[in-house]
Amino acid sequence: MNTMTRSRRAIALATIAVSMAALAGCSASAVGSTSGAACAPEDIKLIGQVRNETNPYEKSWLDGGQELAESLDLEQKRLTYAGESPKQLEQIRQELSTGNPECMVLNVLPNSDSDTTPIVKAVEEAGAHVVTQWNKPADVHPWDGYDSWIAHITYDGVDSGYQIAKAMFESMGGEGNVIALQGILATAAAKDRFAGLELALEEYPGITLLDQQAADFDRTKAFDITKTLLTKYGADVGGVWAANDDMALGALKALDAAGLAGEVKVVGIDAVPEAVQAIEDGAITATVSSDGPWQGGIGLAMGYCALTGELDVTAQPNKNREFFAKQFLVTEDNAADYLTPSIDLADFDCANVFNRVDKALG
Amino acid sequence: MLGTYGPPAALLALCTAFSIASPQFRTWTNLRNVLDSASVLAVITVGLTFVLLLGAIDLSIEGVMAASGLSVALLLANNRNDVDLGFVAIIAAVALGACFGLANGLLSTRLRIPSFMTTLGVSAIGIGVATVLFGGIQPTISSPAVAEWANGQVLGLTRLTFVAAFVVVVGVLIQRYTRIGRYARVIGGAEDLAALSGVRVARYKTLAFTLAGALYGLGGVMVTIQLGSGIVAAGAGQNFTAITAAVVGGTLLSGGRGGVIQSVVGVLIVTVLANGLVLIGVSPYVQKAVQGIIVVAAVAITTWPLRERMRVVK
Amino acid sequence: MSVPVLNVVDLKKRYAETTALGGVTFEVRPHEVVGLIGENGAGKSTLLKSLVGLVQPDSGRIELRGNAVKLRSVAHAGSAGIGMVFQEQSLIPNVTVAENILLGAEGGAVRGGIYRWRELARRAQVQLDKIGCLVDPMAITDTLSFAQRQLVEIAKVLAIEERTHAEPVVLLDEPTSVLDSDEIEILFAQIERLRTHASVVFVSHRLDEVMKVADRVYVLRNGQTVGEFVPGQTDEAELQRMMIGRDAQGSHYHEDAQVDVSAKPVRLRVSGVSLKGVCDAVSFDVRRGEVVGLAGVQGSGREELSRALFGAETLSSGHISIEGEVKRFRSPRAAIAAGFGFVPAERRREGMVATMTIAENVTLPHITTVCNGPFLDRPRERRIVNDWVQKLRVKAPSIAASIATLSGGNQQKAVLARWMVSGDLRVLILDHPTRGLDVGAKSEVYKLIRTLSATDVAIVLLADSLEETIAMSHRVIVMKDGKVSAEIPAPVSSKPSPLEILERMI
Repeated sequence: MNTMTRSRRAIALATIAVSMAALAGCSASAVGSTSGAACAPEDIKLIGQVRNETNPYEKSWLDGGQELAESLDLEQKRLTYAGESPKQLEQIRQELSTGNPECMVLNVLPNSDSDTTPIVKAVEEAGAHVVTQWNKPADVHPWDGYDSWIAHITYDGVDSGYQIAKAMFESMGGEGNVIALQGILATAAAKDRFAGLELALEEYPGITLLDQQAADFDRTKAFDITKTLLTKYGADVGGVWAANDDMALGALKALDAAGLAGEVKVVGIDAVPEAVQAIEDGAITATVSSDGPWQGGIGLAMGYCALTGELDVTAQPNKNREFFAKQFLVTEDNAADYLTPSIDLADFDCANVFNRVDKALG
Repeated sequence: MLGTYGPPAALLALCTAFSIASPQFRTWTNLRNVLDSASVLAVITVGLTFVLLLGAIDLSIEGVMAASGLSVALLLANNRNDVDLGFVAIIAAVALGACFGLANGLLSTRLRIPSFMTTLGVSAIGIGVATVLFGGIQPTISSPAVAEWANGQVLGLTRLTFVAAFVVVVGVLIQRYTRIGRYARVIGGAEDLAALSGVRVARYKTLAFTLAGALYGLGGVMVTIQLGSGIVAAGAGQNFTAITAAVVGGTLLSGGRGGVIQSVVGVLIVTVLANGLVLIGVSPYVQKAVQGIIVVAAVAITTWPLRERMRVVK
Repeated sequence: MSVPVLNVVDLKKRYAETTALGGVTFEVRPHEVVGLIGENGAGKSTLLKSLVGLVQPDSGRIELRGNAVKLRSVAHAGSAGIGMVFQEQSLIPNVTVAENILLGAEGGAVRGGIYRWRELARRAQVQLDKIGCLVDPMAITDTLSFAQRQLVEIAKVLAIEERTHAEPVVLLDEPTSVLDSDEIEILFAQIERLRTHASVVFVSHRLDEVMKVADRVYVLRNGQTVGEFVPGQTDEAELQRMMIGRDAQGSHYHEDAQVDVSAKPVRLRVSGVSLKGVCDAVSFDVRRGEVVGLAGVQGSGREELSRALFGAETLSSGHISIEGEVKRFRSPRAAIAAGFGFVPAERRREGMVATMTIAENVTLPHITTVCNGPFLDRPRERRIVNDWVQKLRVKAPSIAASIATLSGGNQQKAVLARWMVSGDLRVLILDHPTRGLDVGAKSEVYKLIRTLSATDVAIVLLADSLEETIAMSHRVIVMKDGKVSAEIPAPVSSKPSPLEILERMI
């Protein structure tokens, strides 16, 4: 009998709690939609979310976000979801339900295209602000009725694949044979970057692509495959195009082992510190930086500006709400600048947040 | 018959086919490459074999290799600190691997949690430890002696090949002549009966896991020396590859069957396959599918004689 | 008289509600073979388990050579001088005979964790020699025959002698249950040899065997020793009465219920069936309601044949037909669809899904009879299963109870119920349906077979003993080396003698 009463009471309490939460949710979104500048700067909560911090690029993203946050006398909450889509959404829901979503800014790297929609919907419902980067379904846009999804920023893989290919071909004097190490073939990044290489190949008729293999963005695989390709083509190989720096570094080790380091040009993408160091040392020819620290800061900066009323999200033209951001080719000339990635606070001034808009998606 | 001679025959058939199709395949340089590429996988698969013999499974390879890879990179002369312990660094990293293996064993036997779960958890801990050690900057081994050691050759083969060969020989000896090796097989054959006979099952299971962990640690060290830096992804995908290699070679997941030699044949099959498909110019877009088909075919042929209408396979 | 090697005094053990041992007292003298006999459930297995340290008795004493001992584990019992040959084989299949014999007690054959194979083989050979077993100590165990493995088990138990420097007590738990008659003879000869090295406790529920090998026999009933006899000086019928506590004679096999089938049409026709390497051109008929016994020694091919009839093995030639219609079963599923039922010998492994409930086990092959489209109709399932459970008098707390909790006899009844649920059972193949059951449960299974026979089900029976084959069958088909060697009618009025059949078996 006693337990019965207790459980009934518990149910009643739970019901009240749920309805109160529902009420709170309604009022919160009501406030969020009417007023854009409802937050005192010190109440703003900044959140950065990436897959994991074992990846130098994603770590530099969160570090950039932290640097910006400190300049505003705030903290950035670092979230990592280990590449698991359900975990990513769960983390965001958790944050939205525990804090005050109206004063929350999220700078998110969605795990895959299909994860973006539920994330921005959850954020929109709670009335927080979000910037997504890299992954998004092509037919979903921030201007399609979203007030709190400030922007989607991504980086042109075709362009980066093209830029490093061009840099390598130039350093080879426009003549010779190359091999290509692709990423995980099923990914858009691998596809786009390789398309960039093909574009460059068309421009340089003196360059022949001997072979292309998938090394899955993995350093060990790139090491083994490069060794095998060197067996197959021997001294014919004049350059190794790799779809990321990890594979470029693996290929470099294979060249080392074959005594060909320095003779064969190597290029990669991502500008991880180790690769930039290798460029500085002359072992690698070029890489492309999409500027991780800037990425980590820019989403938070946009949200901060929106919450303090300095940025009117809905008034922005479409080209500012969905764009390719500028990328930078790193070669021996400028490698020193990229050795220790950091941010330039001026980039995050509310007036400058759209300075790196390169071109529209598509 | 097929069960015993199937995998070596498959290896021979693959080598013959690739040799005919590609003149580069039958060069000494390529043999060196194949053996060098197989060396890390061989070392970890020898370790895994002892766990598979128990009838258990070990999914911690990735985490253990990451942790020991990062530690050896940080303990040898590197760009992050002033430590240079030389050979002691390698011992320490292998010992770290052994500790992870010990944790696998203790958790599985004392808490009676299936090894599937414990090793997966330990793998996550290993990745976590590696992440902390990684700290955002890749530790790169700065000692040129290490790079030279890894790239240099003895008798026309890389040194890592000899390390792997040594591990294989020791593995075979452990399996044939030591209590850990024999009891691993006994426990895999019938764990409950072994316990009835007074075999201290928990102890020998734990020892087998520890031995395996030490070898994963050594594998992590080898990758790190090969690549010149400590990377968290050092063992990415190796768990699956090692299990595939062991099973293709004839070390069954049900325990008690197969052994080090079988597993190493499997390692060579997997490595030769990857190498040969690149050399004969199979498009990368279909390579994985072709690998899959050949592996499934090899296993099907090997287990054909065991096939029976009412045999239950899980 | 010398001090008994093993003296058990008033051993008691309770599990929650049930008394497993209610006071067992017996003694074993040096070089003696003592028989322990009792029905299933009489407490034999609990007693044995407490003698090898697998079960801790609540009270009572176990004395070895006059010293009271507390046995903690099998290994500990071994070092104290008691070893057991388990009913289910306890050898590791994938390692050598030598390793098995010395497992856990390698002694000097393993130094510092390193195996000295030659020494290991030598020590194993010593044990094998004790019983004149000619198995190679370095052979892998699963290459041996069943009977050879049992000898290895005995050799393994004898290895205790070297450890304790005293002759061991060897417990044999139902050692004949997995052997054929000729293998049993070999075993009995081994027991004679064994007694020169050890004292033996022979546990069985088969009276004839115990009477044959034991010097003295203790009868166990309801967890208590109820009597002690010397074979040859006691009437077998009296022992039987003592075992089950009531008169077991009379219509054990319900022979009076055997129906006349001579006028019935043929239901199952087996025509020239061959199985590669097992049997060759086997032909026979089974009429509606007829029970046909298949007799034969191990290796005669009768087990494989019975499985082939059910579609579990591939026929290399020949065919079977039902009511004149030729059938080719590619799987048991096809056989079930044609109205076949099969009760396998390995009840625990093949006969039932131990992790499922009684209801689920009963409806397993004919799940569609309790389904509405893709959905299970639980109330209907309950109704049908309850109905059969009552009809067959399965003693179970509820049909939702796990089948593993039932006694062997009740499990077997549930397994039989499975084939009756569909209401369309035409042919039933029974592979040792009474194996491991106690006398009472056996009798109930026999009665069930008679009932099925009366409803025109054609039955093929592979019985546990010749006596059972003769009593239950209308006709006995004798198989030898994969061929039918004789077909012997067995009407109620003139049952053949076991000898008549045995002659054609070997």
